[in-house]
Amino acid sequence: MTARRLDAAELELGGGLEVLLVAALEGLAPGGRIEVVSPSRATALELHGWARRAGHRTVGELMPDGGPYAVVVERGPTARVLADPIGPRREPPPLRAGGEFHSADLRDGEPAPGVAGAQRGFTPVRAVAELGAPSFHWALNDRDALWADDVAELAEQATRAQWDASRDVPWAAARDLPDHMERAVAQVMTFIAQNEYAALYVPAAFLPHVNPAYAEVVMWLAGHIHDEARHIEVFTKRALIGGYAGQALASTELSLKTLLEERDFSGAALLLNVLGEGTFLDLLAFVEHHAPDAATRAAAHLAHRDEVRHVHFGISHVRRRMAGDPDQRASLVAAAERRAEKLVEMSGLSPLLGEGLTIMAAGSLQPAELAEGARAVRDLMQTMEDNRIRRLQAAGFDLATSTHLSELHTPNLM
Amino acid sequence: MSRATAEVRVGCVAYHPRIVTIWESFLEHFEARSVPTDYILYSNYERQVSALLAGDIDIAWNTNTAFVAAEQQLGGEARILGMRDLDAEFATVIVTRRGETFEDAAALAGRKLALGSRDSGHAAILPLHYLREQGLDAESACELVRFDTDLGKHGDTGDSELRVVRAVADGRADAGALGEPTLAALRGERVPAVADLEVSWRSPTYYHCNFTALPSLDDGVAQRWFDALLAMSYDDPGQRQAMDLEGVKRWLPGDRTGYSALAAAMAAGAPET
Repeated sequence: MTARRLDAAELELGGGLEVLLVAALEGLAPGGRIEVVSPSRATALELHGWARRAGHRTVGELMPDGGPYAVVVERGPTARVLADPIGPRREPPPLRAGGEFHSADLRDGEPAPGVAGAQRGFTPVRAVAELGAPSFHWALNDRDALWADDVAELAEQATRAQWDASRDVPWAAARDLPDHMERAVAQVMTFIAQNEYAALYVPAAFLPHVNPAYAEVVMWLAGHIHDEARHIEVFTKRALIGGYAGQALASTELSLKTLLEERDFSGAALLLNVLGEGTFLDLLAFVEHHAPDAATRAAAHLAHRDEVRHVHFGISHVRRRMAGDPDQRASLVAAAERRAEKLVEMSGLSPLLGEGLTIMAAGSLQPAELAEGARAVRDLMQTMEDNRIRRLQAAGFDLATSTHLSELHTPNLM
Repeated sequence: MSRATAEVRVGCVAYHPRIVTIWESFLEHFEARSVPTDYILYSNYERQVSALLAGDIDIAWNTNTAFVAAEQQLGGEARILGMRDLDAEFATVIVTRRGETFEDAAALAGRKLALGSRDSGHAAILPLHYLREQGLDAESACELVRFDTDLGKHGDTGDSELRVVRAVADGRADAGALGEPTLAALRGERVPAVADLEVSWRSPTYYHCNFTALPSLDDGVAQRWFDALLAMSYDDPGQRQAMDLEGVKRWLPGDRTGYSALAAAMAAGAPET
């Protein structure tokens, strides 16, 4: 058999020659040979051990005094990696305006797999998995139970919309509010921060169960979690910046605990994203509008921007899920009813929160302004209910069901 | 089936915790091939050879030094039930610092030659033997720098060879002997100590480890066990990890032709085991 010649020139093993050798041998069928020619006797002598370790063998050598030296390496029968071949080079994924490579284009128009093997590992999109890896046991392996049609674009937007709670909020502006106002704001901020914890823990609990085949969902959830971490940060900071702290209310804890108990991804999307964060959109808009200082206003504004995305995902996911599987409608309603049963002893908005919001909207403790503030809070409650029903309809529920679900929603707002 | 009643008992020396990983995997393979096998660990090859001769085990996974020792005590009647592809073309290399290579073994006279454990065939006994064949009695002509670590394990741990290359790299020795696969592994792992070392000398090839059995082992059992061993496949994802740990890509039948140099060396000089 003739051997292809490979001129090692000055390259040594461990110094780059092995890269050339591997490339040359990979291109051969088992039994194929290359003649490696080197001016170095030491390199020629060492080739035997290298070849054996790499699964090949040497089948001849020519070692004339003074060189050059030649060793014939025969490709062994074993594959270096127990995986299917990579395949030919494809047309690369498209770029968008400005040369941007969007996550939505990762699959080049092909859908994500409908079902992914529960045991597959961390295999990136299009990568070829090597056999023999340890088995995983993912719980969420069904695309439709996780997906939203715009999930990749939403993850993309989340990355683009990152902000910095330390620098992007004019903290000094919140230093000198009057006592009564600062106490009110601190209580409202504490309440929001408390809820943001749940908004983080819910997606975080699902993330490690999502099959890695759904990279877009993994990226989305990671962004969601990161958003919530910043929300915890910004509202905790706002609660503290004026020198007071608020009270973390037991009724809020009860409500949030039941949120964490929802084990179905779509159920959690309905309860957290559509209903909880949806209701918070109106709360944050209210806080932004009535904020007594620029720091509170900025915090509410920035968080609101993120929550819009989370609510969008929830609506998009629930609508797609119910459209694909009509039985889901009943399951989702049942999830909301189950939660409501656990919250049966809760009634109405927490007085502390209601008072805090009233003072913020009033701007002072003057009777006329307080009355105005109280009216604004009542209006807020109505706006929340109207918008909840509207969002539920957008998610695919009929008006009666939407109204029913909205009525079941927790008085804690989240 | 309980391993306590396994049909075949294989002895192996526990030179590293990975031996357990390897054999737990191999045992599944033998079980699946209907040759229930168990393994018994020894801390040194001398005890393992004694256990083989005493019938405590049926097969010993031996180094070449241990095989020759067993063979001598069995009057040349030991049976070989397979070896790794690696074992069939084993060699020892002598490394020197960059720019200090030699072509003739005689150049080592008067120099410091580092050797691995004195009971290692590849890192001590055979390099001395082959140099002697090439006219250099290194024991008298060279200043030997010996690293006798992990005695009883016949060089399996690789510790003494790592000390050899470090001694050459930092100038405590002018040249050092080690197994060719050890150098390839150190090179592959980019161990800094070998970065500026070059191969000056390569021994003829010889055989290394094998599965040694007593001549009294039942022919049928021996054949079934041998067939199962050779059926192990590096292309089987369930077996590749253990085979990688054992350094084998393919099991081969063994024979005794590749042990004559070591047998001669051990018979001639004190085998120093």
